[in-house]
Amino acid sequence: MQAFSFSSAPLEPGRYHAGIEDPAAGGYASFEGWVRDHNEGRTVERLEYEAFESLAVKEGERIVAEAVAKFGVTRAACVHRVGSLAIGDLAVWVGVSSAHRGEAFAACRYIIDEVKHRVPIWKKEHYTDGDSGWVNCERCAAAAHAHEHAHLHATGDFASHGHEHAAAVQHDYSRQIALPEVGRAGQAKLAAASVLVVGAGGLGVPVLQYLAAAGIGRIGIVDGDVIEASNLHRQPLYGIADVGRPKVAVAAERLHALNSDVRIETHETKATVENVDGLVKNFDLVVECTDNFRAKFLVSDAVVRALKPAVFASVHQYEGQVQVYRPLPHWPCLRCLWPEAPRDGMVGNCAEAGVLGPVPATLGALQAMQVLKRLLGLDAGEAPALVTVDLLSLETRRLIARRNPACDHDQPGEPAGVEGTSAPLELEFATLAEAFESGLELVDIRETWERMHDPPGLQIPTHLPLSALVNGYLQFPTEGRYLIVCAHGVRSLSVTEQLRAQGLAEVFSLKGGLAALRS
Amino acid sequence: MNRIEIQYFAVLRERAGTGRETVETAAATAAELYDELATRHDFGLPRGMLRVAVNDEFADWSRPLAAGDRVVFIPPVAGG
Ligand SMILES: [Zn+2]
Repeated sequence: MQAFSFSSAPLEPGRYHAGIEDPAAGGYASFEGWVRDHNEGRTVERLEYEAFESLAVKEGERIVAEAVAKFGVTRAACVHRVGSLAIGDLAVWVGVSSAHRGEAFAACRYIIDEVKHRVPIWKKEHYTDGDSGWVNCERCAAAAHAHEHAHLHATGDFASHGHEHAAAVQHDYSRQIALPEVGRAGQAKLAAASVLVVGAGGLGVPVLQYLAAAGIGRIGIVDGDVIEASNLHRQPLYGIADVGRPKVAVAAERLHALNSDVRIETHETKATVENVDGLVKNFDLVVECTDNFRAKFLVSDAVVRALKPAVFASVHQYEGQVQVYRPLPHWPCLRCLWPEAPRDGMVGNCAEAGVLGPVPATLGALQAMQVLKRLLGLDAGEAPALVTVDLLSLETRRLIARRNPACDHDQPGEPAGVEGTSAPLELEFATLAEAFESGLELVDIRETWERMHDPPGLQIPTHLPLSALVNGYLQFPTEGRYLIVCAHGVRSLSVTEQLRAQGLAEVFSLKGGLAALRS
Repeated sequence: MNRIEIQYFAVLRERAGTGRETVETAAATAAELYDELATRHDFGLPRGMLRVAVNDEFADWSRPLAAGDRVVFIPPVAGG
């Protein structure tokens, strides 16, 4: 059976039992969570569970795998109900088989505790007085009467133990409501607003934190990456224990803990040509926080099409740029400013570029501020501009920008180019040895300093540093079959695209770069 | 000859080795000025990839220069 699954039909523990039987197991421990008839002093008649299934299943599977590894049990599984449940119905089932009972009990306890804390499931209670409400996890009792809001929260209390309601503290917006320009009306505008944040990295983290803290009603997060240890210095929303987990899942947990008034939607994917319009159309405003031109222009074109305001930012070493887009006739989009959409890797934005954490943090905080200004209407009379910030000299500059008449906002995007061959741009290899055996000549385009720590025997003899190619010191051969290699596959893809455009047919990029290879 | 105040951003700043400088130049337009500086600092970035702002306003490359103008060269940046 699947390690973690949802069921819209009543749970059948007898049937799941067979799924975890094993000749090596000497016993079995199980936990059943039931719907009880009261919560926070109100009589509950029935309730509904809803889950973001794709995200929730992944997180559930991770928890079960953790339990198996941690306690060394034989098999484990968990099934959670979704849909409408009556009092006494089974809400969740956990089963663990093991050689010894101690590990079975411990693993069972671990799974139910972690599922309650980490798996995004919403619970709507229907009370006997006819009222109903999306309720919070049991820790935040005070929010239980916030009926209009749906909350991302841990699974409810199954009466397995008494829960301490230490302090029924509600999120308090008084220090922003106190501003005459905000007031209660402004706070209500924020609560009614929805904002899509594309990218949950160095820029996205402060954007998400300040928007959630401010009480934006609904926040969507788009990011397909998992947390890496090298992210933490500029993305302190995450911790060392989160390494390897999807950014969207951890961000949703932390933001929910920060302010459970906010409904968080997660999209564990990068923005693509296929999904960007669907994502953008469901939000009032978009904040672009990725680290690549491809995504920035994709989002710019999508907001121009959808007539949505957006806030863009990017950083380079000690400086950054912020640009607000509004769907007004005289307002420039990203393409108005940069008619030749730059290619990733060509203007010094390689994945390895160094940066100090406060630089994206400052630019991200500026983006969050532009969002609040727009939603609160505090930007009246503001002319379109690109704002540059230099964190070394502490200089900022507001450069007035205008709509480019050559940029067609009725049909935004690059003019449909002539696609060359249908050959894929990227190739995947498991090891460097396999890549060498492909018959393609490997060309390392990393900078010299990046090659210094390559292990002996894993060096690529042909080396044409990207900086030298861009500067024109070195020329790429005009014929031959090549596999272009860099650290993460970003720069190599852009070089490959350019060489293809120059007519070199058999040139490919190593997908994911050296980081994706098994050593 | 005009005296022009220049500011560089991002990769241009790195290549120039400075964020700002003042030059005496015979360049009549922003384009001529960039070409002159690109040769001196070995920028290696084509003009088409960049934008220029004169006196805090984005300008065309054909924009004529006058003494005392403040000129900013900006490449797009993508880091986040
Ligand atoms: Zn435009």
